[in-house]
Amino acid sequence: MYFSKNTLLFCGGLALVCLISCAKEQIGSGYRIVSLSPAMTEMLFSLGAGDKLVGVTTFCDFPVQAKKIRKVGDFSHPSIERIVALKPNLVIINLPEQKRIKGELEKLGINTFVSSPNSLTDIYQELSAIGRELDLERQADSLIEYMKHNLQVTTPDNRKRVFVEISPRPIVTIGAATFLNDLIERAGGVNIFRDLNKDYPVVNQEAVITRDPEIIIVLHPKGITGRTGWQKIQAIENNRIYTDLNPDHLMRPGPRLVDGFRQLKRIIND
Amino acid sequence: MTKTILVIAVFLLAVAVGILVGPTHLDSEILQLRISRVILGIFAGGVLAFCGCLLQGLFGNPLVEPYTLGSASGAALGASVGILIFGAISPILAFFGSLGVGFFVYTVARIEGGLLRDRLILAGVVLSFLCSSLVMIIMVLGGRELYEILYLLMGYLGVIIDATNRIMIIILIVISLGLVAFLYRYHRELDIISQGTETAAGLGIDIQKFSLIIFFSSALLVGLTVSIVGAIGFVGLIIPHVSKLLFGPRHRYNLGASFILGSTFLVLADTLSRVITVYELPVGVVTSLVGVPFFIYLYKK
Repeated sequence: MYFSKNTLLFCGGLALVCLISCAKEQIGSGYRIVSLSPAMTEMLFSLGAGDKLVGVTTFCDFPVQAKKIRKVGDFSHPSIERIVALKPNLVIINLPEQKRIKGELEKLGINTFVSSPNSLTDIYQELSAIGRELDLERQADSLIEYMKHNLQVTTPDNRKRVFVEISPRPIVTIGAATFLNDLIERAGGVNIFRDLNKDYPVVNQEAVITRDPEIIIVLHPKGITGRTGWQKIQAIENNRIYTDLNPDHLMRPGPRLVDGFRQLKRIIND
Repeated sequence: MTKTILVIAVFLLAVAVGILVGPTHLDSEILQLRISRVILGIFAGGVLAFCGCLLQGLFGNPLVEPYTLGSASGAALGASVGILIFGAISPILAFFGSLGVGFFVYTVARIEGGLLRDRLILAGVVLSFLCSSLVMIIMVLGGRELYEILYLLMGYLGVIIDATNRIMIIILIVISLGLVAFLYRYHRELDIISQGTETAAGLGIDIQKFSLIIFFSSALLVGLTVSIVGAIGFVGLIIPHVSKLLFGPRHRYNLGASFILGSTFLVLADTLSRVITVYELPVGVVTSLVGVPFFIYLYKK
């Protein structure tokens, strides 16, 4: 015997400690994600990866667990220092709003994942890409399946003309390059400004009146009653103005689009 | 005389064009919309050019106008603060912004027995920069209000008129027109002062008091205008020069002509901005795009 019992015990203990710490390392080496996109935050929770989030924006308010995660600033102005301090190995960026942050993170060698969906197809593609990135492909596929199943195309005989007002001063609406445009079409309506190949164009009142929407969806709290020149618009004459929709269900490309779509379908095919 | 008739004819033509020309057929709703837009144009263009004429006469400086004196920027700052706090443009805050900056500029430029004209412009421009930076901070803080502030800074006549603001806009316009009429009575004093302050003092005009009245009334006018249509630039600077080219230096004609020419110009610029695109193009952009070449042509001729 070259080794004493004590030495063996010591070595064994050391090996055990090594193993445990290695195992710990393994757990700790998982993803540390900072999400700067409220929609992606929701997606990650739906994929069961909410516990990997170490930082989010102040706009990330759903699900409730997201509110407890460390904040790194708001959607438009996240703080690069706070992001770096959380030592993330993946930061989810929203373009074009956070272009600056993306450049700075890349300079620091931090991995980024870009989200900027302009259509439902984009949303599905991003979902499967993040699934691949996080080794959650199965979950991502079933979430996509769930969304596809619940966002099926309705084709009515005549499509109702829909106007969406995001803000009143100036009038901001949605153009063709938005997923909300897709949702309206799928729900059986047609966006009156789908000929504008933009995401959120500022339009003039005359254009709205001439295009004579049959349904008006108001996504700001100010209301649209009593406007000069708007009286003869069909939606206003028939009182088909909807002000109580949750903008987060329609403007945020997350899993809750399904809820927003359900409401859209009800409104349009009423 | 012929010039007067011509100016009025062009004005009426501009009003007709503003109401009749547009990308769509004319029905009663579109008509309402265009008439209210033309009224806003007449009011804002007229008031801004009138203030420009007033201030240029008072300070004998061709560069003075609501923008270079800082009151337009001050009003924009006040209005932006209103957007951030109340979620809507507040005329009172716009007025206080305009007045606050005006007061500061006035204090800086004031010396015994009058105002230092160079210092006035300098202080105005410096304060304008300060106000712009503060507005930028508000834009950064606001996020969602960004568009609204941006359009406020450039000025646009496509403001939605509804039950919440209709009465207020009418009241503000009536107050402004009353103030314009009140200030017009000072055309003779302005003639004398623009000849030189010594002469004016010799003729018994209290220059200090007179400057104060003109200065703060125009600050009030600019504040009111900005709170309705935003800070439309260029009109207040250029139109008084055009009017002077046409009618000579006497304020009796000049003040009125500035008002009418300013209205004409803004109504036409707005018609253009409406016709060329379905997008809401801020009229402030069009005024300088069209106005600058026209102005250079006029002076080179």
